[in-house]
Amino acid sequence: MESSQNQFSEWLNKQIHSSNSGAFALSPELRATSLSVLDAGVFPNRKNEEWRYTPLREILSQSPVLADKTQINPALIAAFKEAVPNALHLVFVDGEFSNEFSGSISALDKTGLTIEHISTLHGESRKRAEDTIRQSSLSDDNIFQHISLGLSRSGLFIEIQKNHEVDRIVHILHLSTKSESRNFSNPVHVVRVSENSHMQLLEQYASIDAGKALSVPAVYIEVADGAGLDHFKIGLESNQSDHVSNTVVQVASSGVYKSHQYLLGSRLTRANLEVIFSGAGAQASLRGIYLGNADQHLDIRTFMDHAFPHCSSDQHFRGIMNDQSRGVFNGMVLVRRDAQKTDALQSNKNLLLSREARVDTKPQLEIYADDVKCAHGATVGELDKDALFYLQSRGIEKAEAKLMLTRAFAAEITQEIEIETLRSYVQDRISNLLDGVHASNV
Amino acid sequence: MLSIKNLQVSVEDKPILRGLNLEVNPGEIHAIMGPNGSGKSTLAHVLAGREGYRIDGGSAYYKGINLLELAPEIRAREGMFLAFQYPIEIPGVNNTSFLKKALNEIRKHRGEEELDAIDFLDLIKKQMKLVEMKEDLLKRPVNQGFSGGEKKRNEILQMAVLNPLLAILDETDSGLDIDALRIVAGGVNKLRTKDNAFVVITHYQRLLDYIVPDFVHVLSNGQIIKSGNKDLALELEERGYDWLLDKAETRD
Repeated sequence: MESSQNQFSEWLNKQIHSSNSGAFALSPELRATSLSVLDAGVFPNRKNEEWRYTPLREILSQSPVLADKTQINPALIAAFKEAVPNALHLVFVDGEFSNEFSGSISALDKTGLTIEHISTLHGESRKRAEDTIRQSSLSDDNIFQHISLGLSRSGLFIEIQKNHEVDRIVHILHLSTKSESRNFSNPVHVVRVSENSHMQLLEQYASIDAGKALSVPAVYIEVADGAGLDHFKIGLESNQSDHVSNTVVQVASSGVYKSHQYLLGSRLTRANLEVIFSGAGAQASLRGIYLGNADQHLDIRTFMDHAFPHCSSDQHFRGIMNDQSRGVFNGMVLVRRDAQKTDALQSNKNLLLSREARVDTKPQLEIYADDVKCAHGATVGELDKDALFYLQSRGIEKAEAKLMLTRAFAAEITQEIEIETLRSYVQDRISNLLDGVHASNV
Repeated sequence: MLSIKNLQVSVEDKPILRGLNLEVNPGEIHAIMGPNGSGKSTLAHVLAGREGYRIDGGSAYYKGINLLELAPEIRAREGMFLAFQYPIEIPGVNNTSFLKKALNEIRKHRGEEELDAIDFLDLIKKQMKLVEMKEDLLKRPVNQGFSGGEKKRNEILQMAVLNPLLAILDETDSGLDIDALRIVAGGVNKLRTKDNAFVVITHYQRLLDYIVPDFVHVLSNGQIIKSGNKDLALELEERGYDWLLDKAETRD
């Protein structure tokens, strides 16, 4: 390995042997495995099929920093809350939970909701949180998961009791602030939705004042029998930030998991999402948009594991790539032998707005059951010329027509967001990014 | 209003229009008929400004402006309208906001004030009655999930809202049942004034029972080989195109 690539590994090593080990969030037993993976220090390279298209050189060649407590103007925070104004906002600044900017959290409030710091969990709740993590085995057990598990100092345990509907959206907001080096943040969040309960979760990552971040979050989710979770993720970090996330979701019998991911920021994002059905009749719907300008690299990997019968999953991911940006969609649907009557759909459509933009798409189906309905497909293309002409023939300028069609391409995904404020927040962010795109192309 | 002289157009080096002449004045309805492959749709597309056609010669002036140099959107803003033979489905673009945007672009161009949402809704609801269109089609993406007839009515609705000076209807009758045909034609007739003009391209005489043309032209092999009044259409209905084509060949 080149010496420039060692910087991050060396930095991690220092963290492992840091004297302040009492501050880590997870139990020594759970951390032990992760620390041995970190000790070995093997990062995936281009020879690893799952990481072939993800350039990690920049991440590995830099040492991030653990930020000191930063003062932030509260007015700046307000703008990040407008996507879900009435939510329970849980704010992390440079990886540390901010009491100042967050709503109050407690073990088991009267609405059946528990929100606690993972670092202070004990007894049964620690056991449940760590069990959820232990059962969440990634098909791609990459080292980044272990950076979160082995070295995390922060994160939340969110649990909703049986038969409850959480009326407030839970909003986990990660902000990075301005600094010389990149602020390191590696939270571990555990979310458990108990039997027949339902909640909505927004996970958001953003920068203040072009703050720089290296974010390596890991999120472990369990959706119990008959329960439902609507999970939104918005990535809006600055173009000097990198983001590698692992999300593992287990969905039990008749549970319903809905995911929306909007990767709109960062220099590099690699978002792994693995959904495992752990009972019959479960459903998952995964949606996502990655939109890149300049030399952004936006990379989504999904792994949909059908191990039980009568489950259904549908995935719709769209990429919009401009300038020299690069998008990657790598999606696997695995239908195991016992997963009869599976209904699985996976679609990935990409729009290239510039000649230098690039997309690598790899939709995959692996089927071992015989009575299933599965379909997948991927397209990469430009705007539809007939549609462009149609709009122009009605008096709409070509540049404007392109913008309308590109927005529309995204809107087919975003229109499925049922929370109105969130839908307009996402659509506005996309529109703003596209305005820039087309101004530069006209 | 529209003056086409010796227009020659080719697609991928294949000549389609071979010296076409046409004069259209305000208040007139012209029907252009002809067999398949005669160049009818090419004429419509070239006039609207679609890419992919090479102009080899001749000219087309509209209101004294060289039409062939204008971007499609400028032609539209200057009052031209093409009703598409195959209206395009545009997922994700709402039918109403699209039409509002289009109308306001045209109004801006004319130096008129833009319509706000309320005034626009009044206008569109009024014009929808003209084509007997269901209101829920306004909420849908442009033409998406519309039946063939609904798409054609949507074209006429757009025409009614944008109120063009020169409308070109490209086989608007194709795929329409008789009721839809009557509604579409009724819309055209109500929009007709002494100041605007229509060029109705059609394969069949049927439409001309409802939209009565002042002139009928027969287009064959990229040229207008015969012009006449509405009786010519009836004659074509009776005798087909062959007698004309034979004559044209012997003339060559």
